Amino acid sequence: MKKECIAMLLAGGQGSRLYVLTGDMAKPAVPFGGKYRIIDFPLSNCTNSGIDTVGVLTQYRPLELNSYIGSGLPWDLDVSSGGVHILPPYMGSKGGTWYKGTANAIYQNIGFIDMYDPDYVVILSGDHIYKMDYSKMVRRHKESNAACTISVMEVPWDEAPRFGIMSVDGQDMITEFAEKPKEPKSNLASMGIYVFSWKILRKYLTDDEANPDSDNDFGKNIIPAMLGDNQRMAAYRFAGYWKDVGTLDSLWDANMDMLSPETGLDLRDDSWPIYVRSVNAPPAFLGRHAQVAHSAINRGSILEGTVENSVLSSNVTVSEGARVSYSVLLPGVTVEPGAVVEYAILGEGAHVGRNCRVGGKPEDSDSGTWGLTVLAPGCTLEEGREARPGIMLGHNGEEVSKS
Amino acid sequence: MNGLHGIIFSYERRGELRELGEIRSSASIPFGGRYRAVDFPLSNLVDAGATNVGIVLHGHYQSLLDHLGTGKDWDLSRKRGGLRMLPPFNSRQSWGIMPFRGKMEALAGIRSYLDTIRQDYVALMDGDLVANLPLRDILDSHVKTGADITVVCGNDSFATSDGTYFEVRDGRITEVLFNLHQPRGYRGLEVYILSTKLLLELVDECAGKDKYNWRRDVLQARKDTLNLRAYTWSGFAAQMRSVKEYYDRSMQLLDPAIRAELFTPERPIRAKGTDRTSTYVGPDGVCVNSLISDGCRIDGTVENSIVFSGVTVEAGAVVRDSVLFQGVSVRRNVNLSYVIADKDVEVLADRTLMGHATYPLVLAKASVV
Repeated sequence: MKKECIAMLLAGGQGSRLYVLTGDMAKPAVPFGGKYRIIDFPLSNCTNSGIDTVGVLTQYRPLELNSYIGSGLPWDLDVSSGGVHILPPYMGSKGGTWYKGTANAIYQNIGFIDMYDPDYVVILSGDHIYKMDYSKMVRRHKESNAACTISVMEVPWDEAPRFGIMSVDGQDMITEFAEKPKEPKSNLASMGIYVFSWKILRKYLTDDEANPDSDNDFGKNIIPAMLGDNQRMAAYRFAGYWKDVGTLDSLWDANMDMLSPETGLDLRDDSWPIYVRSVNAPPAFLGRHAQVAHSAINRGSILEGTVENSVLSSNVTVSEGARVSYSVLLPGVTVEPGAVVEYAILGEGAHVGRNCRVGGKPEDSDSGTWGLTVLAPGCTLEEGREARPGIMLGHNGEEVSKS
Repeated sequence: MNGLHGIIFSYERRGELRELGEIRSSASIPFGGRYRAVDFPLSNLVDAGATNVGIVLHGHYQSLLDHLGTGKDWDLSRKRGGLRMLPPFNSRQSWGIMPFRGKMEALAGIRSYLDTIRQDYVALMDGDLVANLPLRDILDSHVKTGADITVVCGNDSFATSDGTYFEVRDGRITEVLFNLHQPRGYRGLEVYILSTKLLLELVDECAGKDKYNWRRDVLQARKDTLNLRAYTWSGFAAQMRSVKEYYDRSMQLLDPAIRAELFTPERPIRAKGTDRTSTYVGPDGVCVNSLISDGCRIDGTVENSIVFSGVTVEAGAVVRDSVLFQGVSVRRNVNLSYVIADKDVEVLADRTLMGHATYPLVLAKASVV
């Protein structure tokens, strides 16, 4: 079936910089904002942009992601003429390999893309929180008659060396690409979102695969090769909230951002809904002594203690006399009476016993040693235990180093 | 034994629900912060292994159709069977205009559907009973006791308007009573289990004699010839046929013991999912002893209340002892107590509205105060 445009979502990342938090799941399945998983954002963006065919490339611990996506119904991607397809690496008659890199992952699914004979392919990644109308980017691609269009956003100049930086001409056509330049010539950072004309990309993928020295990566290989051949490369300027939540700090930041819509992350805006596969549980109950302020809460939770500046997922219990502040509690976390949780991320099902102390305020720590405290999914802390600022505890409660 | 088939009745109008009942069938009345009444019988049936459920409709069912959709949320979107909406389609008479006079007439109206039932047993249930019944156990007990009809009875002190009451001796029903001024005996929950074969016989027999009333023409008329047995359920079971009953039953949910029983993880109550975001409680928001659903924004004070999804309570507003349906907006410095605000009601700034525990104030859907 012919489609003008389909999307390919790179969801194979293992999320190694989220360390213990990912547990048994791939990074895009990590919960976000109390209610969502990271992958809800690109999937919902696709639906809201009118893209009804999405390939999700999975590789690392895909079970949780697969069962979460299911038929795609929650994102309105359960359609017979397209819909969402999970695409793991597979064996052929000549053998098969893991996805060696982002470009190789697409290369291995040329057959899938060819089934839809698309004019354009949108390449997305599964670890960004943002709302974006991809149809506008595709329009920019068509109008500029480009082979490739890359979405970019202005970043502060001092942060530019952390990004892939694009230099552009007067028509916003890309003239130069530099990966993490020490001396950036521009402050337009690539957001890792690409639109390609499929015939051209198909050729570059095939050529790249034939090169044994290639890392088979879009940023490192495909984009530089196309620029080198003077292909038309357009920049698409995006202004709005966008955050890569690939690290513990940025994941925590993005959760805090969602509490304050003035950061640009307004999830109550009905004009661009973010869809989810929702959990079935009764509404949250706030008890007689509950003190909940500047916080997000979700269904199935029983809150009797104090919660401030925090994001609480579904089925969370905060008992009377417990205090949670500046923290992100993933689904099913329990905090028992007298426990104090500050500046922490608690993984799914973590259990904080009576009078435990988890994390601490930056101002109470020696400079240089402070950090977020992270409990792995299922981690149980017995009564009175302390988890000091900046450490990570694994699912068995033992300290895990970040190296 | 070959499973259970569910038939849910949602055709009766409950006049004493006032504005809450005018725009919807009582099966689709919102309850408990995120449910509709019909979620409870549907979930109970699905939990007992039923994969076929028919819903008998008559008028004002748009809200129910919107809610149920394909039945997917209850796993009732099936290749065979699943959820079937049953408006009166089998009638030679003018039933399309007149409401059914009774359950037997309603069943006669879906006679051809009854022929397609593949299961050996049928559960007849009202769409507006809020309870978490162990229907699997009830069916087991039906088979074990050799009952012709098992009648599920509540075992508590609650009465309900237009209720059916049963006198029971050694588990057998000895008297069937309704229109009682002073209720006595056990309160019937309008949940009945019988074999498909017996149901078909009763429907045909009643239709042939122009008898239409289940309570009078089946239960009362045959209590001596059929083995009618009671299954008593002592848990929460709300039949909400008046605003007062609706309000009292809603407020009972603030009791943790009642919630624990009604929402037992053993028999989850399924409901339609929403895409609303997390609820946000602002820096000065106060929320105590209340149930709060998704996608709300609370900057004022909410106490002893049930709040459905997408509700806004602005700064300075105080909401006490109230039930706010989906999408209600309570503007600055409003004072509400003992109010049931239907969907999308907006109460403008600085208004004060007070009902009383014995007569809660109902604000009709989408009204602006």
